[in-house]
Amino acid sequence: MATYSIPVGPLHVALEEPMYFRVDIEGETVKGLEISAGHVHRGMESLALQRNYFQNITLTERLCSLCSNSHPCTYCMAVENLAGIDIPERARYLRVMADEIKRLASNLFNVGIMAHTIGFNSLFMHVMEVRELAQDIKEGVYGNRMDLAANCIGGVKYDIDDEIESFLRTQLKELKRPMDELYRTYEKDPLVTARTKGIGILPEKDAIRLGVVGPVARGSGIAYDIRDKAPYSAYDQLSFTVQTETEADVRSRALVRLREAIDAISLMEQCLDRMPKGPTVPDCLPDIPPGQSVARSEAPRGELIYYLKSDGTDRPQRLKWRVPTYMNWEALHIMMNNCKISDIPLIINSIDPCISCTER
Amino acid sequence: MLPFLKILVRNIIKGPATEAFPFGETYTPKRLRGRAELDPSRCLTCGICSHVCAGGAIAMTESADGRGMEFRLWHNTCTFCGLCEHYCPANAITMTNDWHLSHEQSEKYTCCEVQFVEYPVCEKCGERMLPRLHQRLSKGLVGSVSTAEIMRICPDCRRLTSAMHQIKSKVSLTAGRSNS
Repeated sequence: MATYSIPVGPLHVALEEPMYFRVDIEGETVKGLEISAGHVHRGMESLALQRNYFQNITLTERLCSLCSNSHPCTYCMAVENLAGIDIPERARYLRVMADEIKRLASNLFNVGIMAHTIGFNSLFMHVMEVRELAQDIKEGVYGNRMDLAANCIGGVKYDIDDEIESFLRTQLKELKRPMDELYRTYEKDPLVTARTKGIGILPEKDAIRLGVVGPVARGSGIAYDIRDKAPYSAYDQLSFTVQTETEADVRSRALVRLREAIDAISLMEQCLDRMPKGPTVPDCLPDIPPGQSVARSEAPRGELIYYLKSDGTDRPQRLKWRVPTYMNWEALHIMMNNCKISDIPLIINSIDPCISCTER
Repeated sequence: MLPFLKILVRNIIKGPATEAFPFGETYTPKRLRGRAELDPSRCLTCGICSHVCAGGAIAMTESADGRGMEFRLWHNTCTFCGLCEHYCPANAITMTNDWHLSHEQSEKYTCCEVQFVEYPVCEKCGERMLPRLHQRLSKGLVGSVSTAEIMRICPDCRRLTSAMHQIKSKVSLTAGRSNS
């Protein structure tokens, strides 16, 4: 059988983000893969060095749209670690809430695109309609559909009053039934399972070897979640399960994401129940000493690490982040080995690649 | 058999989920971060807003005659992050929920929030000085001097008043001692 190579990308592989794959194929089967990245490099690490600590909150929020809360949150955590700031108790819960609403919307977006990739557009539209409830929460509570602007150094910029609390509770309650319905659809619908079961398998030992993170790792049966391993914000006060699946295919990764989205609703409700009254920010501006610090958090796509080095001025000397997609895209070599051409976009989408934060 | 069919039928009966905007009404939440606005009567011209502004959208320029400070926020550069509103110590900047910012290409440099913050005049010498804090601080006293009084005069007169006050209290203190 003839062997030849075809280009996939850089545009419209699964999500509208540029990534280029050179795929060697034999007939219809993928035999080799070469990934080339760097199409949307914007020099953001360098930009961060030209801005002061406050401006970088907004800059890091613009890294990526879907995990736009995880970046400033982890950045602020790194600054707080360096300056030795303890954030107020109420702010801890408010940070969890901002994190979880973004996780919910991000995971729904990914499974929605999965439905679109397999040609099930009515399901895709329905997922996006359910996601609108989460978008309304973001717009109503934070003031924007994507960039929440919830974090600041030492706390959070927003607060929840009685009116917002009742709005939140109604929205969350309204989300529950459609979410359970969606989960059943992705779990049982033969049209979905026919295309996703047994596709893009990443065995547990390969997942460990490649150090994958987030739902990709948990879909391969590795119970690794920063919210559980190294709790930050108020995660140590809240109860949730680290969701895992053992089949390690596209379907199990989607199911993990959906279950985490359902968990996010419960986490937000727990926050509303347990949140103490009090201030949300410290009463003075931060003083950032020279030194280095690291912070990590669980973004919707997995473990996110921030490294910060300060020389005592009002600008960082170095700011670096390691994003989950960087760890996950190497796993595509294993997942796409011997798969069919038509499954390429589906497998790429299953790692939920976020090119804009990986290439920044 | 096909669990999605039920959802599909329900969605067809329900009709479109989208809003009819721009031909119909749309809903704007109260907290939406839209066009930023400055209240010049509250502004202290401290400049923290332009310091934290991520896009560099805020420029503060002192007028040539020294009458005050011009505040200029370029809406096209604003990222609507709300840092200026958060860090403003006098609650002078607010993010309104007005998102109607479309304008013609020819207006792109004039689509700004421009306000002039006039410096108050010293009651004693008539010099211009930085805006007073007394609207916020008039309730309390700082040390033994009335803040409300000290904020109406310029820093030079302030120093003098404060020094005189100290001398007076010292004189009365020593006088009290010599009496006993």
